[in-house]
Amino acid sequence: MTAIPAKAKKRRFSFVSWINQENVAGYVFSLPFIFGFLMFMVIPMGLSFYYSLCRYDIQTATQWIGLGNYIEIFTDDPTFVKSLKVTCYYALIGTPLKVIFALIVALILNHETRAVPIYRATYYLPSIIGGSVAVAILWRRIFESNGTINAILGNIFPFLQGYNWFSEGPAIWVLILLTVWQFGSSMLIFLSALKQIPRELYEASYVDGANGNKKFWHVTLPLLTPTIFFNLVQQTINSFLAFTQCKLITNGDPRKSTLFYTVYQYQKAFPAVGKSQMGYASALAWIMLVIISTVTALLFWSRNKWVYEE
Amino acid sequence: MKKVLSLVLSLMILCLAIPAMADGLAVGTYDPATAGDVELGFGWWGNQVRDEVTKNAADFFTENYPNITFNLNAQTWNNYWALMSTYAANNDLPDVMQQDYAYIEQWVEAGDLLDLTPYVESGALDLSSMPQNIIDTGKVGDGLYAICCAVNAPAMLYNKTLTDSLDIEVPLNITWDEFADISRQIYEATGIGVIYGDGNSENPLTYYSRSLGYNALWDAEGLLADAEEMAGYYQRLIDGVKEGWLFDTDKLAGVNTADLAQYPLVYGASNDVRVWCTLAFSNQVAAYQNAATADGIELGFSTWPSSDPVASNYMKPGQFFAVTTDAENPDLAVAFLNYLLNDVQGNILLRAERGVPPCTATASAIAEEVGKADPTYPASVKYLAFVGENCSPIFPPLPSYAGTAQTEVIQYLAEECLLKGTSMTAEEAGRLAVEMIAEIAANY
Repeated sequence: MTAIPAKAKKRRFSFVSWINQENVAGYVFSLPFIFGFLMFMVIPMGLSFYYSLCRYDIQTATQWIGLGNYIEIFTDDPTFVKSLKVTCYYALIGTPLKVIFALIVALILNHETRAVPIYRATYYLPSIIGGSVAVAILWRRIFESNGTINAILGNIFPFLQGYNWFSEGPAIWVLILLTVWQFGSSMLIFLSALKQIPRELYEASYVDGANGNKKFWHVTLPLLTPTIFFNLVQQTINSFLAFTQCKLITNGDPRKSTLFYTVYQYQKAFPAVGKSQMGYASALAWIMLVIISTVTALLFWSRNKWVYEE
Repeated sequence: MKKVLSLVLSLMILCLAIPAMADGLAVGTYDPATAGDVELGFGWWGNQVRDEVTKNAADFFTENYPNITFNLNAQTWNNYWALMSTYAANNDLPDVMQQDYAYIEQWVEAGDLLDLTPYVESGALDLSSMPQNIIDTGKVGDGLYAICCAVNAPAMLYNKTLTDSLDIEVPLNITWDEFADISRQIYEATGIGVIYGDGNSENPLTYYSRSLGYNALWDAEGLLADAEEMAGYYQRLIDGVKEGWLFDTDKLAGVNTADLAQYPLVYGASNDVRVWCTLAFSNQVAAYQNAATADGIELGFSTWPSSDPVASNYMKPGQFFAVTTDAENPDLAVAFLNYLLNDVQGNILLRAERGVPPCTATASAIAEEVGKADPTYPASVKYLAFVGENCSPIFPPLPSYAGTAQTEVIQYLAEECLLKGTSMTAEEAGRLAVEMIAEIAANY
């Protein structure tokens, strides 16, 4: 055995020791994420921003038009205004309804009986299958003029026989109902929050003479506000980005009364006939980003006013 | 004994080999067997029947050339173009794609289609039995970029079982007034309605415009008809909705008009969501009849309603096949194209579902077999012969702004005029149609 001079040993590169350095190992482990983040988030977003400043039809080269798309959207596009209104209506009505509904069901299920796990799973099911194409198609069939809903309701209320749920007024409500029905994930979050409320608080309030109703308003609800806030933010963003339901159930009909922003954007990017307006659609996407950021910021700003923090 | 056995065996092999050789597919001068193991892409839009017959024809090709497999891409019309332009952006188009008369020019301009002239000259693509005027419909400038694979014509398909039961006769070359009259009678007797002018396509408008004496709906500058003339068309929609027999905007939202198998002519449990006819094309009859048979409905043919049917009717070089510039082995793609156009067995499998084959030799060779497999075929051949004698020349391919005008103007005005109790007048709609389309045309 010959001794290796200390100097030479130091200089020799060893892969094992190199990879075992804390820095390197960290980067290697996060590489898949970094790669995915760059390839599927940063680069596409950068490209989309560039396209939003161009006229671009996918098939031919881009043509720089500066803020042209944005100017057209804000000054000369009634469909933009219409789809934005529809989306806001959907988000502002659908989201609170969904959160309230999730809270009510969570409160009901917050009892320790043997059947509760089964109920929880059952109520969570619509959320798992919720965003899927199959549910959207099913939903459309259920609400068709000779679908299940009319068959059931028509027997009870004869005037509902053959009612057209997809006409201009009720069509948006069919979509809102679908999102409310998918309350499962919010419900689960509420359930775990309910479990974390300390027992002592209820006992103390009992000692102070609070009944069930008062317990809810003065103990449960204030302690749930952080969770309500979280669900509200999460679901508001989801509502603004809703796509599948609208595309498959109504496709914006009748008369654009159910045209979601994302579907309008899709129609611009991938029209059934004629040329794609990918640049225009990209500009729409960036405007949506600003809108969602603003709404989220507003929600966070309102946080001090109503969210209880220990 | 051994000798006899080997003799028998070799005779058997010979017997098997002879028909195989005689049956060699019509693929032109290139031998696909020499192409190596290749996957050939083939995209089209269509319906269930078309998807099936096209797959059969591709499978038959693979049976004969096991080294060639297919990546088949069947879409509905609504999805097809969006998907194909995405592929085009990625230089990933299928080797052979179905094309439409209206769109060839745009696709050639974008550089996505291959000029087939050299292949026709070399004999690799055999168009000898195709009439020259039909070959020319696939030309852009001096190049031949797409080959017509079927001839068809606008056809109003109607529920003959229903009209017979009501003792109503639907004439050929039906005028608008006759059509409205029949629709009214049917609606009053049964509650079954009509879908017309719903804005999904510009075809009814084109028909209307041609009945006024124009050759087309529009040219590079805008609509050919003036505001007053266009008002006549929108008056039809407003009156029809008022009288009840025409599907209004709300009612349209409740039915599926994109998927042929669910179209209200052949689908729907109650009369208020059904229609007695559809403005379709002659080649769609097999698919509609296929869906209608389940309900015991027999379909009949008439022309689309028009005040001057002979001026409005036209023969359409139906669908086209084109080889794309993304094809890795264009020779092979052309050989397959040649098979689709000229091979008798292949065309029997295709069942003339896309329309009557324009290669006269192919058309006559398959008539009997296809008639057996598809009972609607003789009727559509007969219908096309009638239209051939009662039509005017087809309009030029659509102007490049057509798609935008379609979604932004035609659809919008259709929705407004078909709205129950609409506040829009026909005059206003006519004026808006002319003005808005002229503006789009000018800015495109």
